[in-house]
Amino acid sequence: MPALLEAEGLAYEAGGHRILDGAGLTVDRGDLVGVIGPNGAGKTTLLRIVCGLIAPAAGRIEIGGLPLAGLRPPERARRIAFMSQDTSQSFAFTVTEVLLMARYPWLARFERETDADRERARRALAYVGLGGFEDRSFTDLSGGERQLVMFARVLVQDTEIIALDEPSSSLDIRHQDRVFSMARELARERRAVVASMHDLDAASRWCSRLVLLDRGRVAAAGTPEEVLCSAHLDPVYGVRTLVSANPAAGGLSVAVMPERLPPRGMRVHLVGGAGSAMNLTRELLRLGCEVTGGIAHEDDSDEKLWRSLGVEHRAVGAFSRIGDGDLEAAAALVEAADIVVLCSFPVGAGNLGNLRLADRARRLLVLDSGPGDVPRSFLSEEARRAFAALEARAELLPYERIVEEVKAAGSYGVPEVP
Amino acid sequence: MNRASARARELGRGHGRPEGRAGARRSAVFVALGVGLAAALVAGVTVGAVRVPVAEVLRMAARALGFRGIAQPDATHLTIIAALRLPRVLAAALVGGSLAVAGVVMQGLFRNPMASPEILGISAGGSLGAVAAITTGLASASALALPAATAAGALLAAALIYGIAGIRGGTSLLFIVIAGMAISSLFNGLVSGMLLFSKQYEVNAYLFWTMGDFEGRTWQHLALAAPVLLPGVAALALFSRELNLFTLGEEGARSLGMNVEAVKRVLLALSALVTGAAISVSGPVGFVGLLVPHLLRLLVGPDHRALVPASALGGALFLLCCDLVGRTVAPPMQIRVGIITAVVGSPYLLWLVVRSQRRGGA
Repeated sequence: MPALLEAEGLAYEAGGHRILDGAGLTVDRGDLVGVIGPNGAGKTTLLRIVCGLIAPAAGRIEIGGLPLAGLRPPERARRIAFMSQDTSQSFAFTVTEVLLMARYPWLARFERETDADRERARRALAYVGLGGFEDRSFTDLSGGERQLVMFARVLVQDTEIIALDEPSSSLDIRHQDRVFSMARELARERRAVVASMHDLDAASRWCSRLVLLDRGRVAAAGTPEEVLCSAHLDPVYGVRTLVSANPAAGGLSVAVMPERLPPRGMRVHLVGGAGSAMNLTRELLRLGCEVTGGIAHEDDSDEKLWRSLGVEHRAVGAFSRIGDGDLEAAAALVEAADIVVLCSFPVGAGNLGNLRLADRARRLLVLDSGPGDVPRSFLSEEARRAFAALEARAELLPYERIVEEVKAAGSYGVPEVP
Repeated sequence: MNRASARARELGRGHGRPEGRAGARRSAVFVALGVGLAAALVAGVTVGAVRVPVAEVLRMAARALGFRGIAQPDATHLTIIAALRLPRVLAAALVGGSLAVAGVVMQGLFRNPMASPEILGISAGGSLGAVAAITTGLASASALALPAATAAGALLAAALIYGIAGIRGGTSLLFIVIAGMAISSLFNGLVSGMLLFSKQYEVNAYLFWTMGDFEGRTWQHLALAAPVLLPGVAALALFSRELNLFTLGEEGARSLGMNVEAVKRVLLALSALVTGAAISVSGPVGFVGLLVPHLLRLLVGPDHRALVPASALGGALFLLCCDLVGRTVAPPMQIRVGIITAVVGSPYLLWLVVRSQRRGGA
């Protein structure tokens, strides 16, 4: 059974520039596919082509197994709806009039819109949160309101395939979220929905699959987790990204990392856990240090960060106890480090080994927990004693001082720019 | 539910049925246009150097419709009305309605409230055709030659506009206006060139045509133009829904299943044909296609299913009134209708430009 919308090998040129170069797209019923990529990657062109609005120079597009080119225009418009970014209108049509235009492919030459069509328009408008706007002039609406009306128009057109070109570009965060949740709702109705978007966090949260475009080619395609990783994003967007789980909203969070300073030729090992090492990891990497980490528990937030940034680290299974073998494996990292920082985290039976690990440092700094940090606490007397012993031979410093110390220790070769 | 929409809903409650108020207003405008048109037709045949009482005109109409036992009207009056005034007012109404509809179509087609046959250079194309027919002597050889050549010239200009607009979505105001200006100058240049090599009486014949008037229009003019204009305007009206879709932009229209290129070609060709046939009767009368649709868009709204018929009525009414004014303001002189429309139209165009500037571009 072929997918509802299948396109492959698409090529398109405009003004001597190759806009699409072998891109493809597959959207099945129930899918909400996000098309992402930098400006000029060909997202809008890809959507226009699969909607039959422009003809590709090469490639194959099939709707339910039949070639798109074989559909007559009204037939095509009964199956595929396209929501454009362009919401300009020179004439003062009412919102209802604009919505009813979407019934065009469904009406015969001399047929007028029925009461059922009007009702459909009214409901669509209420659904997007603009109930009562029926008689307002479309030209008097704000950009965001127009975009919502255009979304409602797609509903009025009532097609099985829906393409949305940056549907939330003029919307505030509340309505952005609303549009994507409505798009997913449409997918749940067994329609095939595809949307181009710039907001990668939203893409990871709402889309079932993503297609990453790079200069007209598909750089990656798959689930949000598969596509949204620094290995795929960095070369395409030309920045260093940091992908982490978004614990509050769900999905992933993609942040652009500041430019790294040149390597300092010094190693810092962070003994962390429970997210206590995240800020230092980012800052030290930015300063050009070689950072190692451990021992953390798998899928702990520190461990996830290290994994996504490619930081060499040691980890044990979630909730398991750090054993002697683990200590030996991590000791090599600790002993190779110029500085070891013991971050601030609760110490219990499971991670007591980390205090013993820190004891093997050549130079040990202990991070004093500041406001907003995980407070350092001890779940056993043994842990408290072990920490006291460490504190006796190490410096207890706040975050900023630790960064200063690292800078001072590793400043050879690279003049620091104030 | 956000606050704005709650407020709008509250406002909406006062309206009763959402369709109600706009629909009633539309009907009122149509009734006013119909009554106005009838009154202007009657006024057009009664007013003039020889005054014919309205009652007598009505008697003539009743007799013509076959009512028996009505007193014989004055023979001179009958001749004045049947041979001179009736063809004149009917020509004015037909030309006015046609030019206004051609204007509406072009504005919808180019999503541009300033498009019109003269701004797009289609009138200039018609003039070129007319002067070609006059200077080659075809116009005096056959009554059919002038209208045919005018229509051909208008079609040529439309084809040029179609080609230029297709180069790059070309719906921006500036682009279309400049393209139209270029086409107009080109054709006007060609017209002047042709006149340079023609005989004095041909120049006179052209100048007479170009001033735009309905004086001396006969049943023959009507018989030639009406078979093109009436079906042409009716055919354009059939595309009202497509014109609505065009205002979404060509991409929007295409995404709703319209065969954009085919419809665009048909509409441009039809409206050029209608323009050409209309100005072959009257000479290039300006501003009707711009002013009338604009005014009516404010009254009945932009939906072409109402706007096209309203413009047909409104254009007819407008040109009838202009002709009437031209005949009566400075008797015994007759001021040509093209002069009246230009005097009324130019300030209106200026106001339009100023308003669109203030709104941040049309």
